[in-house]
Amino acid sequence: MLRTVKLTKTFNQMTAVAEASFAVEKGELICLLGPSGCGKSTLLRMIAGLTPSDAGSIEIDGQDVTERQANKRPTAMVFQSHALWNHMSVAQNVSFGLRVQGLARDVIAAKVTEALRLVGLDGFEKRRPTELSGGQAQRVALARCLVVEPKVLLMDEPFSALDAHLRANLREELKALQRRLGLTTVFVTHDQEEAMELADRIVVMNAGRIEQIGQPADLYLEPQTLTVARFIGQMNEATVPVVRGQANWLGQRVAVGAADGAVTLLCRPEDLRRDPAGIAGRVARVIDLGPVLRVTVATEEGATLTWLCARADAPVVGAPLALVATRLLAYQNGVRVAVPVLTKPQLESVMP
Amino acid sequence: MRRSKTPFGGLILLAAMGLAMLGPIMTVMVWAFAVKWRYPNLVPSEWGLKYWHVILGRSTVIEPILTSLALTSVATTLAALICWPAAYAFARLQFPGRQLLLFSFIAANAVPKFTLFVSIAVVFLQLGMVGTFWGVVMVQMLSAILFMIWIPTAAFRGIPPALEEAGFDLGASRLRVFWSITLPQAMPALAASYVLAFVAIMFEVDSALLIGAPKITTMPLLMLSLSAQVIVQEAAVLCVMIWVPCFALLLLTRRFMSSKGIAQGFGA
Amino acid sequence: MVDDLTAPVGSRGRGQMMGQGFAGLALVAAPLVLLIVLVLFPTVSMVANTFHVTGEGGRAFSLAKFAAFFADDYSVENLRYTLVWTVISCGTALSISLGLALYLRFSEGRIATMIHALSLFPLFVPAIVISYAMVRFLGPNGLFQLLLEKVGFTGYTTPYLTPVGPYIAFVWESLPLPVLVLSAGLAQVSDHAIEAARDLGAGPVRIFSQILLPQLKRSLLIGFALIFLGVVGSFTVPYLLGPPAPEMMGVYMQRTLGNMRPEEAQVQAVILMAVAAIVGGFYIATMLRNQRSR
Repeated sequence: MLRTVKLTKTFNQMTAVAEASFAVEKGELICLLGPSGCGKSTLLRMIAGLTPSDAGSIEIDGQDVTERQANKRPTAMVFQSHALWNHMSVAQNVSFGLRVQGLARDVIAAKVTEALRLVGLDGFEKRRPTELSGGQAQRVALARCLVVEPKVLLMDEPFSALDAHLRANLREELKALQRRLGLTTVFVTHDQEEAMELADRIVVMNAGRIEQIGQPADLYLEPQTLTVARFIGQMNEATVPVVRGQANWLGQRVAVGAADGAVTLLCRPEDLRRDPAGIAGRVARVIDLGPVLRVTVATEEGATLTWLCARADAPVVGAPLALVATRLLAYQNGVRVAVPVLTKPQLESVMP
Repeated sequence: MRRSKTPFGGLILLAAMGLAMLGPIMTVMVWAFAVKWRYPNLVPSEWGLKYWHVILGRSTVIEPILTSLALTSVATTLAALICWPAAYAFARLQFPGRQLLLFSFIAANAVPKFTLFVSIAVVFLQLGMVGTFWGVVMVQMLSAILFMIWIPTAAFRGIPPALEEAGFDLGASRLRVFWSITLPQAMPALAASYVLAFVAIMFEVDSALLIGAPKITTMPLLMLSLSAQVIVQEAAVLCVMIWVPCFALLLLTRRFMSSKGIAQGFGA
Repeated sequence: MVDDLTAPVGSRGRGQMMGQGFAGLALVAAPLVLLIVLVLFPTVSMVANTFHVTGEGGRAFSLAKFAAFFADDYSVENLRYTLVWTVISCGTALSISLGLALYLRFSEGRIATMIHALSLFPLFVPAIVISYAMVRFLGPNGLFQLLLEKVGFTGYTTPYLTPVGPYIAFVWESLPLPVLVLSAGLAQVSDHAIEAARDLGAGPVRIFSQILLPQLKRSLLIGFALIFLGVVGSFTVPYLLGPPAPEMMGVYMQRTLGNMRPEEAQVQAVILMAVAAIVGGFYIATMLRNQRSR
């Protein structure tokens, strides 16, 4: 439905987006995820036509729209600030796109009613935007886009100004609505939880480049670059030397499919397990997260490990403890290299 | 912060300020409705609208008022027509010299207006434009520019770009976006700038005196001549009649102009 | 970067930017022409005129006109009178508005709101209205005299037609802008900064002189310039309230022009402009610095 090819944007010699290529299937919800300033909003605005691109092309439903201005593209965008027009009523806001198209008045009225019903705001036609709560305003902004039946719906951090509870609710509603209507959607967020929950696939961006595209589980389990690995979820990280395919992770010897040099080894907190033959340390801190506990372990070598452990395994602060990694990720020069899944960890008594 | 608990000092300050700020105007208000007010009575001994009838029945009073209204309306409207689009350009478009030009409009404020009017009067004398309707209109437009550039520029700048983008994104042409979104959003501030300029010009003595007199007599010139007269009430009635409606209009504009905004407009 | 984002959209940049440049210049052209025709041209030609004399040998550079102005005792006295009373008015208005701004900064509630509103009231009162009102209020047998006599004070002499008359009206008229500007300056000093100083044992005088005053330097300069520029070239207030002689420069210029002596009026205007330019220069420089630091 939507395809961008090597889309590029430079602001005053600063590359905001570099050769971004990705595709969105019909009915799919894609999240553009990345830290602030990574270019995700600029990429979205280029798709909308609000920021002209410097190079590359955009194709929507088989048509090249690169040279078209925003008002001639079959996209509609929900802004972070909701951008409702406070000199118009809710109905006038929602009907704007239809009035521009010059549709008949009764057709417009019916569509507006339907759009407001979809977002759960039936009967709000006469209200003023100033009389709406933050959540309601964002729903009206969504209805204003839905009513023009865009081929691609664009959302620029639409929920980031709202409080956490409301955000979660709106996310669920949006996901349900998007499934039901089969909306092709590009959703920009810096919140990985939001992206994980909403997205069919996630496009991770950093410093203007697309790092990885994949389903949420792929990104979590198989991050292809060090940046993605660090950005998504928590990690225990250590950079160690590799000598002839061997490396030493806090005293645990591992085989790495990398050339001699430095390698960064990462281990998710839930991929640690107690093992009397493991890395020795002491419990420094225990934080009760409810379903699990987050345990901070100070190893004998002076490193710090974060371990997510089941309630049943709960240690006490100060207690000695030994852990082994059951799964590691390895990166050399930012790119992923193989580390065999560790079934029988070997420990070295002496650091090389 | 320590806020004083007893407002006694505040009350004294309020009383002093009240007397100083409102006393003079109150005196005029009373005079306008006084038929007889002789020393040393604190209030008039006879009230009434006698002098209102006197004033309103005199063509030498009505004519300057109509002249002023015509001059001021034409000058303010013309100024709005040329300044508002310029303000939009300053706020939203990129063009060479934008900062410098905007600044030159604000800096014109730093020249005493009376000396400007003297220089214009000399030029107009040579051109035979002194005492002409359009001569006065031109000079009054100059007075209006002050309000009509910086207030609207700040207003257009204050409209979040996302509001316009949202309309553009939904298929509206740039003209439609301007007409349906930008203009209504800026309207309160534009109206405020119009009223401010209108009232300022309406009561401006300097330009009327140097460029208009003696052929064109405006309302403020009439007030100037009435002020020195023995019959106090005539000028008082004129003051109340013209100024009170203007004051009410100005109060309306206050809602759209924050104190901070005014202070910033003067470079604070 | 922000400007790039807000710029209207075009396909691939360049041509669009050029178009915007033309459109922008076209839109600002009309008021700019007015500014050139009514400010730049008359001012330049006036200044040029005053530095030249036209004799038998044509136009020649000369300072004769200025020499004539400064040789005339009455003219010099008018200039001196204008400057002295302008500076006195500025000082008074600035002190009162500083006091008001400080009071308003540290007070809240109905009384403070009302005092704030009263201090802004002159913004809504044109010079001609307040001048006339002052005649009736402060003039002989005016309301102020009546009030004083009611409380038993009978020694009132009216400032009407003395230099004090316009002075009072100048101060009255000039209050709002410095109050606004100084309040904006004081608002930049956070409550925390003052509380911290108080915690360290600073008294009100020390807090004022070492914490508030340094922050207010620019605001005071702008306030002074605004009052000065407003008062120095004023006409209506001194015309209605002031003594017949000496005259403020505004009144003097008007009378000179009215007597059909435009060349002398030009010299007077250029001299006044030069004085104002010094203060105006400070004003513009401070304004630029403020805009840059914002």
